[in-house]
Amino acid sequence: MDTVQLTIDGRQVNVPAGTTIFDAARMNGVAIPTLCHQQNEVPVGVCRVCVVDVGARVFAASCVRPAEAGMQVATNSDRVRAARRTLVDLLLSDHPTPCARQKHSGDCELETLARREGVTTPRFAPRRPSRGSDDSSLAIAVAHDACILCDRCIRGCNDIRGNLVLGRMGKGFEARIAFDDNQPMGDSSCVSCGECMVSCPTGALTNKFVVATALPAGRDSRPVAPEDLQALPMFQKVSGTFLALNQGAVVKRHFRRGEIICREGEFGSTAFYILEGQARVSLASPIAHVKTQGGAHGFFSKLTSRLAGRKEDRREEEADRRSIPIDAPVDLAYDNPVADLGPGDLFGEMTCMSFYPRSATVRAETDCSALEMLRNVLDILQRNKTFRAQMEETYRRRALDSHLRNVPLFAGLSREFLDRLRDRVELLRFGPGQIVCRQGDPADSFYLVRLGFVKVSEHYPGGELVLAYLSRGDYFGEIGLLGGGARTATCAALDHVEVVRILGEDFAEMVAQFPDIRRGLEKTAEERQQANRERMSLVRSVPLEHFLAQGLLEAQSLLVLDLEKCTRCDNCVRACADAHDGVTRLVREGLRFDKYLVATSCRQCRDPLCMVGCPVGSIRRRNSLEVIIEDWCIGCGLCARNCPYGNINLHPFMVQADDPSAPGRKTAVVRQKATSCDLCTNQAEPSCVYACPHDAAHRVDPRTYFAPMLGQAPGAGTER
Amino acid sequence: MRIDETHKPWLWISAAILAAATLLYAFFGTPRALGSQGGTPLGLAFGIVGFAFMLFAGLLGARKKVPVWRVGRAQMWMRGHLWLGLLALPLLLFHGGFRLGGALTTALTVLLLVVVLSGVFGAAVQHYLPATMTREVPMETIYEQIDSVRAQLLAEGDERAAAGDAAALNEFYRQRIRPFLENPAAHNHPLADPDQARAAFSQLCTLVPPELQETVGDLENLCEEERQLTRQVRLHHWLHGWLLVHVPLSLALLLLGAVHAIIALRF
Repeated sequence: MDTVQLTIDGRQVNVPAGTTIFDAARMNGVAIPTLCHQQNEVPVGVCRVCVVDVGARVFAASCVRPAEAGMQVATNSDRVRAARRTLVDLLLSDHPTPCARQKHSGDCELETLARREGVTTPRFAPRRPSRGSDDSSLAIAVAHDACILCDRCIRGCNDIRGNLVLGRMGKGFEARIAFDDNQPMGDSSCVSCGECMVSCPTGALTNKFVVATALPAGRDSRPVAPEDLQALPMFQKVSGTFLALNQGAVVKRHFRRGEIICREGEFGSTAFYILEGQARVSLASPIAHVKTQGGAHGFFSKLTSRLAGRKEDRREEEADRRSIPIDAPVDLAYDNPVADLGPGDLFGEMTCMSFYPRSATVRAETDCSALEMLRNVLDILQRNKTFRAQMEETYRRRALDSHLRNVPLFAGLSREFLDRLRDRVELLRFGPGQIVCRQGDPADSFYLVRLGFVKVSEHYPGGELVLAYLSRGDYFGEIGLLGGGARTATCAALDHVEVVRILGEDFAEMVAQFPDIRRGLEKTAEERQQANRERMSLVRSVPLEHFLAQGLLEAQSLLVLDLEKCTRCDNCVRACADAHDGVTRLVREGLRFDKYLVATSCRQCRDPLCMVGCPVGSIRRRNSLEVIIEDWCIGCGLCARNCPYGNINLHPFMVQADDPSAPGRKTAVVRQKATSCDLCTNQAEPSCVYACPHDAAHRVDPRTYFAPMLGQAPGAGTER
Repeated sequence: MRIDETHKPWLWISAAILAAATLLYAFFGTPRALGSQGGTPLGLAFGIVGFAFMLFAGLLGARKKVPVWRVGRAQMWMRGHLWLGLLALPLLLFHGGFRLGGALTTALTVLLLVVVLSGVFGAAVQHYLPATMTREVPMETIYEQIDSVRAQLLAEGDERAAAGDAAALNEFYRQRIRPFLENPAAHNHPLADPDQARAAFSQLCTLVPPELQETVGDLENLCEEERQLTRQVRLHHWLHGWLLVHVPLSLALLLLGAVHAIIALRF
């Protein structure tokens, strides 16, 4: 091998040809300070902190300058130190001292170097304005003000990891690092491997600690060491540094046979991945709806509330639902809501990512062990291609069929077509607020919602009208495809959403092969368009300001009390309570519009916010737009919390359930079902209106009842 | 309940019944003719019909106890109570021939007059006061919640006053506002009068720094809400207080009426 002889700080050294001055000095025990150079990365010489005097007109950046024979190198002369101090001074002037890294671990390389060089207070004024920060990633915080543009993160991301996410954008003072084409980090293709964070010499890229990141360990659980996690296939591509920094965010739990892993309706923030054993997922709540009965068929019959199943009380226009969507890789059959989970199954994604209540009860069928993880860990796994492929394969194999068949129109698809479709569909992920498809765009796909909630809205001059909220098992996109033109509405992700995308050509083939499906889809599309047209005409025709301010336009059915007739006797409230086992569904308090009090009672809103977040999709809208609560409501109470008007209550019922302390025996337990005003549908008139002695209580369609007041076409107020 | 045009059918029917009864009494029931003692066939008829009307009117209370029973809309019962109850008075006067008679019948007549007059008073009150309450108490709440709301107002006032660091504000709050919030029923308190309160707060505004003007405004709003709740309580008592006279006397009337009927028919 050729060698080169040079002199470094008065000492002659021999190094292989091609060695840089920096490496030559390092090999001979001379440390040259640097910021942008890292041993495992290709040097780029941007920071110039490593400059040395080689006797030339200008100093040389030692990290990139090759050593030459006979070179006289001075690494620590007065001139070199003065230059280095000026560079550090300039860099420190823009640095938010102390930065996040310095505060957390005290090892910001720039601040450490500044102390060593004797630079405490920069001579130069900081730049204005701030370059900002990016908090969108779950794992890594970005503080652009602390960035010294050393390029280490970019080289780490692109050269070492090959992820090709990071780059540089802007010029001069505007220059900064960027993700993809300047996306927020959390929305970019960043897989949160942590390489950029590990490479960063300052506090520009730091690890975010999730609040309460440490899951409590217990008798049957323990934190998992990073090396043990990386032994699992799903964690192999995850940065060991990240796992080390978030060690408390994943624990391995052991469950004995029969032990409950999680209970439906409980709030949580973790997901479970089964490593060994079998678990059974089921719904403990009775599959029944609250039925108000009595009254019309007997002079002294009393109205009472009880639970009635679909076999006993089939509600009109109710869909022939076959399965119940839950937060797991499998849906539960309606008539037998039980399924099994095994090794490799992940459940609790929606609870973990969006903090929704648990959708079902999971019990260990055999002794089993599972990883329980927090959101930051699940987020990294979901960005991991290997893990995603595994989850998608599980979904295709176990749930896609039932999802497609749960759409009544697709119930007639042949097995062969489904098998073919299974491998052709795409599973796409969207973050909160991301648009799935935009109104006016060309229609090229059909979508099935696998996870999360999608908002469907239409724009009109002056605003946006929400048409529907879709959850797991719902579908959209057929109107545009059947119409052969553009999207008629904008569909956006409300939270972390996954959709199954069926391409236009597959959709076209499906409707061509199965004419019944086409006819059904066309009928649904026509109904939806008709409903949308009616809503849009309503929005355009009614003066909105005051009416909208109270949300009255959103209501299809209001309980209004004429305050000039009402003597505040509360007979309406007593009647409602008497009609519903002592649990009133109306409160004589609420907004006022003119001389009317809008009582707190379900409004059958056009924009049913109550539907968002239901873990089992049990609150939905009928074709008539009336909001109903299905039989499999698990009583978690999220809809009650979501309703902005406080119109949904939880109705307690005593039911017989298995006694966990005495296997084989039953015990009475209290279960809850969400209820709202049901308009006393089995009576000719709502009880509150019937019982008002003063003709003050009325159930009305606000559009027509208030029409004269709003300057609309005169006509009698329409009572429902 | 508002007596409005929807009562017209009841009005005409009641007027027709009254006219018919008056004609009957005029031609067949006056002392000039056969004498209108209650025991005559006509007198008995007046008595039975009048008592039946009273009984129907009295059943309104029972109807309100079973609000969901489908036995006719509560509104219909209330209107029947008003008009048939009113009609009972002339019919029973016709029954008695406008004579008081013995102790029992005198008591019955007096009771009847008081019950009907209190009922008319109640109808008038329930005709006018709901609109008054709607107009004068925009911050109305549910009556049973008033104590709870008052406690919240007091707590909010304490919190606002504690946040404002000014001697004048603290003193004003301690000496004037808090006592008012604690005992809003004190009529002679200066803050109980809207004009005096407005003047007092205007003066306070001149004594506190600009950054506390909003706090003063909040405290003024609390006092206004307190005044409205006091007004609501008062109106509520007027709306429902007359029932304390009307209901027990009605029950007594029905009871004595039954006793009278038994005694009169049997003996």
